[in-house]
Amino acid sequence: MKTAVLITMIVLADSAGDVLLTLGMKQVGEISAIHPVALLAIGRKVITNRNFLFGLGFFAVTFFAFLIVLSWADLSLVFPAKSLVYVASTLGAKFILGEIVTFERWAGVSLVCVGVFLTSLP
Amino acid sequence: MKKTLAVLIPAVFAQAVGNVFLSMRMKEVGSSIWFDLLPRAIESPTLWIGTVLLIVSFILFASSLSWADLSFVIPAVSMEVAVNVILANYFLHEVISLTRWAGVLFISLGVILVMRSERYKVVEKREDLRAYGRR
Repeated sequence: MKTAVLITMIVLADSAGDVLLTLGMKQVGEISAIHPVALLAIGRKVITNRNFLFGLGFFAVTFFAFLIVLSWADLSLVFPAKSLVYVASTLGAKFILGEIVTFERWAGVSLVCVGVFLTSLP
Repeated sequence: MKKTLAVLIPAVFAQAVGNVFLSMRMKEVGSSIWFDLLPRAIESPTLWIGTVLLIVSFILFASSLSWADLSFVIPAVSMEVAVNVILANYFLHEVISLTRWAGVLFISLGVILVMRSERYKVVEKREDLRAYGRR
């Protein structure tokens, strides 16, 4: 039970991080500069963006929850569960970011999910 | 799409090569006790190179999100799992089971599908523009 709660937390925090990071980067705007000075200015805009920082915060939560659950659960149990992040992030992209996810893209994400699950098996 | 791939392909390779460097260094120090692990690991440039590559990979990943769809970037970046397995087999001589190779195949097929879905979107956009021009 404890393991299930933490794995759910890992999946949700990781995909929340993805969604917030995207929100933040979309607010910063499309990066098309390659000049170092311009890039520095963009960098400053990125690290002061609240959504970006919250996203990083969620990634930190993911990382620590991952470490905590590994203190009693097997890696071979926890890691395959992380393949669910692909589905959760795509749902977030569709319902929170309003992206158009076509049937073909869903099929691709599902295959990726199965693939990541398989690579985590011994 | 071209710009996204120009950023994401280096991101995938930087991440995978970075992990190979980290794994190489941590296996070298492997036998020491846990509290001694990190101080000993950072003595070698191998660990630093690995860490820098992972940071570069994250910066490229975040940059791509400033213009590309998350629902495209996330599955596209999953290719790194497959590349990790291939590099671990080639450089670290890890034995990869048939199940894992099947996983690599599934990920690759999934990424190909996601690429195709993006191509159709580009076509749709072009048709939108053409329709707009006609008006």
